[in-house]
Amino acid sequence: MSGIQDFVVLTLVKAAPLIYAALAGVVCERAGILNIALEGQLTIGAFTAVAVSFATGNPVIGLLAGVVAGALVGLLLGVAATRFGVDQIVAGTGINLLALGGAAFGLTVVFGQPGASAEVSALGVPGERGLIVGAFVAALLLHLALYRTPWGLRTRASGENPRAVRSAGIDPRNVRLIATMLGGALAGLGGVYLSLGELDLYSDGMTAGRGFIALAAVIFGRWTPFGATGAALGFGALAALQFVLQRSGVPSELMQALPYLAALAALTGIAGRARAPQADGVPYTE
Amino acid sequence: MIRGLAIGLALALFAAAAMLLAGANPLLGFWALFRGALGGVPQISETLVQTTALLFPSLAVAFAFRAGLFNIGAEGQLVIGGLVAGVIGARLETSGLIAIPLLLIAGSAGGAAWGAIAGVLRARFGGSEVIATLMLNIVAALLANYLVVGPLHSPGVAGPETAELPHSSWLPALLPGTRLTVALLIALALAFVLRWVFARTVFGYELRAVGDAPEAARRAGINLAKTAFVTMALSGAMAGLGGATIVTGVLHRFNVSLSPGYGFIAIAVALVGDLDPLRIIIASFAFGILQSGALSMQALAHVPKDVVSFVEGLAIVALAARRFVAGRKQMTALAPE
Repeated sequence: MSGIQDFVVLTLVKAAPLIYAALAGVVCERAGILNIALEGQLTIGAFTAVAVSFATGNPVIGLLAGVVAGALVGLLLGVAATRFGVDQIVAGTGINLLALGGAAFGLTVVFGQPGASAEVSALGVPGERGLIVGAFVAALLLHLALYRTPWGLRTRASGENPRAVRSAGIDPRNVRLIATMLGGALAGLGGVYLSLGELDLYSDGMTAGRGFIALAAVIFGRWTPFGATGAALGFGALAALQFVLQRSGVPSELMQALPYLAALAALTGIAGRARAPQADGVPYTE
Repeated sequence: MIRGLAIGLALALFAAAAMLLAGANPLLGFWALFRGALGGVPQISETLVQTTALLFPSLAVAFAFRAGLFNIGAEGQLVIGGLVAGVIGARLETSGLIAIPLLLIAGSAGGAAWGAIAGVLRARFGGSEVIATLMLNIVAALLANYLVVGPLHSPGVAGPETAELPHSSWLPALLPGTRLTVALLIALALAFVLRWVFARTVFGYELRAVGDAPEAARRAGINLAKTAFVTMALSGAMAGLGGATIVTGVLHRFNVSLSPGYGFIAIAVALVGDLDPLRIIIASFAFGILQSGALSMQALAHVPKDVVSFVEGLAIVALAARRFVAGRKQMTALAPE
């Protein structure tokens, strides 16, 4: 039975960063910001954690730095979108480019070599396990926060009907700003998991499109924390299956493409009527 | 104009700060950048090669933006266009007079088909073209890799690429001994045609109407769904044509890494060019300088070339002003028919 056990473990290992990123997508979209910069936030989180662990020799400080860096990238998106009227989609694309270039640039500056960093002190097996458990805890906390607190009500309302939020005397732009920071922090943590949890280094392209798979998980999970977590687990299982089927003749590209193809299918409404928050991606102006 | 200069200056300062951080002399960095891009005939022609590669997807992006549609998928459409041209081209032994137009048309058709997927999802199901094109970018890369390594593998080729195209299928060079080909002229012609379409044709008018005020356009009897579909397909065709010119003009084969992100940089180029086809020509040249100067900057001034994508990303964030997207907000708010 160890085969099944291995598969479950591998699924969890592959799903954890997707869960963090998908939760980041959920909180942003529920507040009305379509965050297509998840990939960039994963990248910056992963790189910063390694760079800071390298500089301080302490992976926990690296972890915190990765989370803060992710939050700052989220803040950049939030400020651009809510304060300067920059379109969210365009800003997200820019941030992805900026993050990839920034991390590649940072590699050369900090480690003096392109491609990959040196090995640094990482979080190890207990850290990796802790972060996997943490992903599910984060899903639970986000669920409670979104549906059981005044903050959650304000956040969801900003994504559905920002004018109503404004009428209640709250500026939806601030609500969205906080959501993008929280989302950035979550995605940053997903990046930390990749670089300091699963491995002990950063290499260019290590996020490998997970930020976009997470966007698909958000749609599949119908914009809820539990739903997105479930979808991320499903995509994690697909990634694990890829290892199992490695020598079976099933093209690995097909397996890799499945989450994206599933997202395209979801856009046709094939999976039932999945409705995005009414004001998702719609800029709010006074 | 003044705003543009201010943003340009701010970006240059950012780049200078980054160079200092890398322990390089910014003045040397900029000197190396411009020398590498404009220092002589070979450098300038290489810059024009990059300009051409950027111009096609930038026009594609701008075309869709004008209709209120966010084509984030020029990258994938370009890859598919190149893939189709490369796969057919490597197997085609015929006169250049037939082969070259055929390959360019096939590449455009491939890009159009890829763009049309997002178009159908938008027009028929009201699905977000942003999500669709994002996903299609990755699927395009995976599909290309699968096909050229797997079922369409060319004998004797080791890497993820097709065999070389026969010489007769190569685009004619503009300057002998350089990689600059007639693709530049095709791209320039496309820009002028688009300018004419926007300014002088009913279709161009409808397109802009849908982009600027979809609800008013709908009431005026313009079919929004059809416009969305046609726009995405044509936008994809332009990006696909760009991919086909890289294959037939620059690499002479399809390689999975034929684009260092032209389709994404194109978004910055389109915005810098104010979505105006003629100004996009100038913007493509400016970004072409960055692309072709980056390697020289790395070699001569020891500035990592990635500083260029960093600055391009910043440029996109800084330049995406609200006015480009007035129409999109309403377009997305409309329920699918």
